[in-house]
Amino acid sequence: MSIRKSQKEATRQRVLDAARDLFETQGYEETTVREIARRAEVAVGSVFTTFASKGDILSQVMADRLDELYAELDRVIPHLRGGVADRLRSLFAIHFAFETRRTKLFLAHIAAAFDWTLSPSTRPYGRNPRLRQVIRDCLIEGVNRGEISAHLDLEALLDALMGIYAWTYRLAAWEGADADQMSAVFDRQIGLLAEGFLPRA
Amino acid sequence: MKHVPGALSGDPESGVKIPTRRALAKQQTRTKVLAAARRLFSEAGYEGATIRDIAAEAGMSTGAVFANFTDKSDLFREIMFADMAELAESMREAANRGRGVEDALLRAFSTGYAFYKSQLPLARAAFCVSWLPEEGVELRFSTAAKALRELITEQVQFAVERGELSQEAEVKLRGDMLFDAYLANYPEAIFLGWSLEALQAKARDQIRVILAGARRG
Repeated sequence: MSIRKSQKEATRQRVLDAARDLFETQGYEETTVREIARRAEVAVGSVFTTFASKGDILSQVMADRLDELYAELDRVIPHLRGGVADRLRSLFAIHFAFETRRTKLFLAHIAAAFDWTLSPSTRPYGRNPRLRQVIRDCLIEGVNRGEISAHLDLEALLDALMGIYAWTYRLAAWEGADADQMSAVFDRQIGLLAEGFLPRA
Repeated sequence: MKHVPGALSGDPESGVKIPTRRALAKQQTRTKVLAAARRLFSEAGYEGATIRDIAAEAGMSTGAVFANFTDKSDLFREIMFADMAELAESMREAANRGRGVEDALLRAFSTGYAFYKSQLPLARAAFCVSWLPEEGVELRFSTAAKALRELITEQVQFAVERGELSQEAEVKLRGDMLFDAYLANYPEAIFLGWSLEALQAKARDQIRVILAGARRG
């Protein structure tokens, strides 16, 4: 890596660290890009050479946070018990619990993901490839164990699960639901899907 | 809402049916502001369009805009409510032409995707606002927003009544799943430029998966 490139990377990391601290202590809306720059000890201009907007910074902060979640999942997955529906429920429950540790920030992140000013590198909301892979692996295991009909359109099931999961957070935004309440609704919905994908007797 | 919706029918207290010139002028101003706002929200998104820009686009002062709308979110809501009410009607009509529940749902969803396909920045702005804690409240709880979700649930209910889906179909819960899956496909159109045909194909597969469990005896 060239010196210039590594300097740019260092600036980027400093901005992200400063932003995460400020978002968590004083909230997303209340934090300005100027404050982030001051705390990161970089010029406001150099923040904007790396990030398109405050929303863009938030999206990156939220994406980086996921490393912690997936490290946790790697430990948990080998110990999951029960049928495929229960294993799916556990995986999603872990996500609901994780994201509601910072509900306000997570909802701000969803809104920002639809904002106009995202850079091309930012991933739209609901497009988390790691979650998708974890769920796909769980479904494939279900097929291998004979718990899911081999004739099923696995990608369609995966799309439905991911889409419904993403929009279940409306219960947090609309009705102030917590992780347990969201999990309870989603658990029942997984049950309804399972009635359709269990192999026919 | 804080405005007088019946400006065209004149002052209700005076008993006069013919609109006053003043009421007509006010209505024209509102229509002009709304059209300008729609253009700017479509181009610059919600955050990118300011009241000042909207006033300039409409060829009037910011004061004239504020005389008709409390703030930007008020303007945006007005546009969204009108769109959603119109869309709900079209989606219901489309669904009622469907043969069977799967076809009915697909027709409704396709109508929605087609409606926003030509104005994706507006759809994007609507999603953004609806997730905002403060500004989103009135949009989320609006009659128009509820009507959209309910018309999907209604189609599931009809299918149960026809005997096409089982009595244990869990109409409300399954209706929510269908509507959430429908909404969750919008990022494909907004960010990835999917065609209407691609969206329909994806929605069709999802509808099948979501209804599968209710088709068994």
